[in-house]
Amino acid sequence: MAAQPKPIPMHQPSYLEGGGILSWLTTIDHKRVAVMYGASALIFMAAGGIEAMAIRVQLWHPDNHALSAATYNAFFTMHGTTMVFLVVMPLLLGFLGNFLIPLQIGARDVAFPRLNALSFWLALVAGILLHLGAIRGGLPDAGWFGYANLTERYFSPGLGVDWWVIGLLVSGTSTVLTGLNFLTTIITMRAPGMTYMRMPMFIWSLMVTSVLILIAFPALTIGLIFLLFDRFFDTHFYVASAGATPILWQHLFWLFGHPEVYIMALPGFGIISEVLPTHARKPLFGYPMMAYSMVLIAFLSYGVWGHHMFATGMGPVADSAFAITSMLIAIPTGVKIFSWIATVWGGSLRMTTALYFALGMLLEFTLGGLSGIMHAAAPIDLQQTDSYFVVAHFHYVLFGGVMFAIMAGLYYWWPKITGRMLGETLGKWQFWLTVIGFNTTFFPMHFLGMWGMPRRTYTYAADMGWTHLNQLETIGAFVLAVAFLLFYINILGSLASRDPASGDPWDGRSLEWSIASPPPAYNFATIPQVRGRDAWWILKYGRAGSRGVAAYMSGQAPQNPQADLPVAPIHMPAPSIFPLVLSLGVGTMGLGLIIDWYRIILIGAAVMILSVIGMGFEYPDFGEQSHDPEHAPSSGGIDLRKIGVWSFIGSECVFFASLISTFIVYKSRSIGGPGAEVLNIPLTSFSTFILLMSSLLMVLALAATQRGDRLWERIWLGGTAAFGLIFLAGQVYEFTSFYREGMGLTTNLFSQSFFVLVGFHGAHVAIGVLWLSVLLAAAMMGKLGKSRALSVELAGLYWHFVDVVWIVIFTLVYLMQAVSGA
Amino acid sequence: MIGRNSSMLAALALAGCSAKGRPMTTLAPKSDLANWIQNLFIQVTLWDALVLTIVVVGFILAVFVFSTRVGEAAPATTASSDLGLEIAWTLGPALILLMITIPTVRTIFRSQPATPPAGGLEIKVIAHQWWWEFQYPDGLRTSNEMHIPIGRPIRLELESGDIIHSFWVPQLGGKRDVVPGQINQLTFIANTAGMYPGQCAEFCGLSHANMRFRVFVDSPDDFAAWDKAQLAGPVSAPVDDHAAAAGARIFADSPCTTCHMIQGVSKGYLGPDLTHFGSRTTLAAGVLKNTPDNVARWIANPTDIKPGANMPAMLLPGPKMDALVAYLESLK
Repeated sequence: MAAQPKPIPMHQPSYLEGGGILSWLTTIDHKRVAVMYGASALIFMAAGGIEAMAIRVQLWHPDNHALSAATYNAFFTMHGTTMVFLVVMPLLLGFLGNFLIPLQIGARDVAFPRLNALSFWLALVAGILLHLGAIRGGLPDAGWFGYANLTERYFSPGLGVDWWVIGLLVSGTSTVLTGLNFLTTIITMRAPGMTYMRMPMFIWSLMVTSVLILIAFPALTIGLIFLLFDRFFDTHFYVASAGATPILWQHLFWLFGHPEVYIMALPGFGIISEVLPTHARKPLFGYPMMAYSMVLIAFLSYGVWGHHMFATGMGPVADSAFAITSMLIAIPTGVKIFSWIATVWGGSLRMTTALYFALGMLLEFTLGGLSGIMHAAAPIDLQQTDSYFVVAHFHYVLFGGVMFAIMAGLYYWWPKITGRMLGETLGKWQFWLTVIGFNTTFFPMHFLGMWGMPRRTYTYAADMGWTHLNQLETIGAFVLAVAFLLFYINILGSLASRDPASGDPWDGRSLEWSIASPPPAYNFATIPQVRGRDAWWILKYGRAGSRGVAAYMSGQAPQNPQADLPVAPIHMPAPSIFPLVLSLGVGTMGLGLIIDWYRIILIGAAVMILSVIGMGFEYPDFGEQSHDPEHAPSSGGIDLRKIGVWSFIGSECVFFASLISTFIVYKSRSIGGPGAEVLNIPLTSFSTFILLMSSLLMVLALAATQRGDRLWERIWLGGTAAFGLIFLAGQVYEFTSFYREGMGLTTNLFSQSFFVLVGFHGAHVAIGVLWLSVLLAAAMMGKLGKSRALSVELAGLYWHFVDVVWIVIFTLVYLMQAVSGA
Repeated sequence: MIGRNSSMLAALALAGCSAKGRPMTTLAPKSDLANWIQNLFIQVTLWDALVLTIVVVGFILAVFVFSTRVGEAAPATTASSDLGLEIAWTLGPALILLMITIPTVRTIFRSQPATPPAGGLEIKVIAHQWWWEFQYPDGLRTSNEMHIPIGRPIRLELESGDIIHSFWVPQLGGKRDVVPGQINQLTFIANTAGMYPGQCAEFCGLSHANMRFRVFVDSPDDFAAWDKAQLAGPVSAPVDDHAAAAGARIFADSPCTTCHMIQGVSKGYLGPDLTHFGSRTTLAAGVLKNTPDNVARWIANPTDIKPGANMPAMLLPGPKMDALVAYLESLK
């Protein structure tokens, strides 16, 4: 670089400075979005904690009537739902993940900043919807995993389960958008030189977690959609008398639910893998194994859901298979524990609260992992599941493992986020009270479980021998509550203090410590060059700065990149109000559906559609919305939008796979009424042909755009959309003829799984037609053309995917019937 | 902390294995099934203890022995990998898991026989919100208290009347869910006479906590006697017991008959069979002891004791209530 380096401004305004309340409502800065995630999660955490305390008070003595059965059931349901969906995931992903991904990979924001803001506002709306039952219709009260068929309207007539279904659907959508955004960011926006094997382990954990989110959440979405249809449209997806089985819910829920455990645990592992090396002044031990073990855990976690269902009578073969896969997870998890110990071994430890919590996590999580092996042994699980033993187990994993890691992460990164230090004395008090309170609360639960106390019981008999341990646990819970009180005092005191944190208070190793605390809005004045793992450590100390560091360092490191390189003009995306407005529209629709007021649904839908259109007009050129379109050094030449669409398609595969498998299972269980013989094979063959031809036209349209052929671009785009419309028209004709022949949505299992599967595919085609129409309009206005070929390519990816799904549906739903019927 | 927990574990484990004062303990097995599970549990606990010891020792050495504090000295090593170590702590746990997996799979297959054992007693268990119904092959139908003979294979066929429940008698073995639309099995041989409390273990709505029951393991003779007495019709109220006789008339004319069966008197089947109500030790699915006061309390306001119960409250003037209770208690 021959250019004269510009001086770095002495004062860089931080991302927290400037702007009123409106600037927060419209912000798309990943750091501000993160702070809003963090603030709301800490408020929800207080609510979930109060629910837990009420539970412990109720269990103080046998036959207690401090809480009614109804209140108790609502409280344990909301405690679980809140802690999983509104506290742990938002703190790990929304707060720490959002804040740190761009900072640790050397980027200025996430790949899709506006989508990121949308994720937050949807998450907040979901949190509010989940609590609105307190005002109207009752809080959710069927447990955090809401087993069917208790959740059917007949058995849960109140609105509680309705709030739960809608709240979780919105929350799930938000999480999937986050996963898509994070994955795209990590794949495409790493600073030059940051290869996958140089990424901080926290980034590895979030990359693996994002993949898990994309493939796990659709299963929950499908389960919730079936439940929604059962409750609002009188279908029978979980009703045994119609031939269905409530066990379907358990398969779908745990196909989501077990990966969900790792969606919460892996980022926690990532935090520990950051805190320990920094505080031991040593590189992370066994970096490749640490990365691969997370990939392996994620892979295995998708094949172990049945270990939640050993008691349901799956039979010895399935029991054995799930027992073995579950045992296997212990191997990579053990590798992590031992590697962490080896990281500390021989280190020079900085004994901060963050390190205390990280070390505490190692032991508490080990206990949770070891009791997990007992659950993997299916026969033992039959004694322990649904007893207090399993309550102890998952609190050792989720509190001892994940909450300890979150606390370590909060104490570690708080100075970076706020520019203020947290009190160390108060922090150590909090740590020891947490350790004492946590173990006093949860360790005795192992024994209560072994002594036969079932979970989720609002009261118990005096002659069971459970009283004393319950009282000990309640005392422990109060100690734990004091610990959390100290935490809240500490963070509020820190925010009020004038004790500024330096940019690098812990002598850190990764890039976030190379910039000011709190960081400026644009994060990095110049995008850093990465020369190895622990990028900032190498930049600080170079090859010889610290004994042994040079061993894994490659290339020459400049002393300070910010002084070496010129400060280029920094393009930042503009704020947008539409993520907030769109989320309010979604929330309004949910509200209207639940309180059964169609005008409110319509208002919500209108707001939603108008904000989508508004978003489109806000930045007609996508480039305006993203950062430095040319800055995608690690993408391997693939545009981040393409990665985003591919991620979405991956997620959609699980969505349709769940729908299709349900159809195949339920087709043969359907009782009475019409079945597959009503399907009109000739008509559907024709519309299938039309849809396949539309894919051909799509290819031609893209080719025309790429060679700059304005005329044929319009013709082929219009043709594709028209063929899509013909397909839809065929579907409308098919559906109405079924209704005329007496096969409606609720007729039997066949009809409901057929209509929901084919209907959801039709909705995807309809969205595709809308997308194509928008492109056609842009082409008519002359706004497409060669330079925007990517816009056509993205629509094409989606369109081809929808067509491929149809080929699968046509084969499995229609052709198989023709074959088996012949 | 952990060291303290381990010694606490040992002390409590010794104290915890007795069923005395803890009638729902899983640690005092009284059937073949419960024994198999207990054996496996002990094996896994020992392996877990070994792993925990290794981790805790490694932790203590790493944190307190082989590391310094910042400012004291530079890190003694900055090594970031060791192939031998990493292979060891991958293969070691894998071997331990193999040692656990083999007995696990054997126990799984042993405890779930595909066909009912020869000479077994097959009992149909029907779970309702929130009580249990037991149907014996000889036509006997009882509620919330099940009697089984010692030493004879028991095959429970579990069915649900409404939603998912879970059948669990900890001393007799692990739980098995009761799922609408499918029939699950639980097979075991009880080996010690006694009364074993059980409870629904899958959350099933408002009164999930109040869905309890009892299993009585009897000697073969006692069981035969019980079976015979229960099969016979109800003991008719003694002629000289005026209160019970009056109670019989009150019952026969009451809405109770819609849901409750008393052989020869009423044909209701939605609620528990009351033909031998007086011979049971508890009422309201194991929630209350079967005393006249409790029966009167229950009839006067069932949802006070069991929130959400379907049984409507019966407002009877004192003498009539006493008579009704006397009649029910006379049904031995």
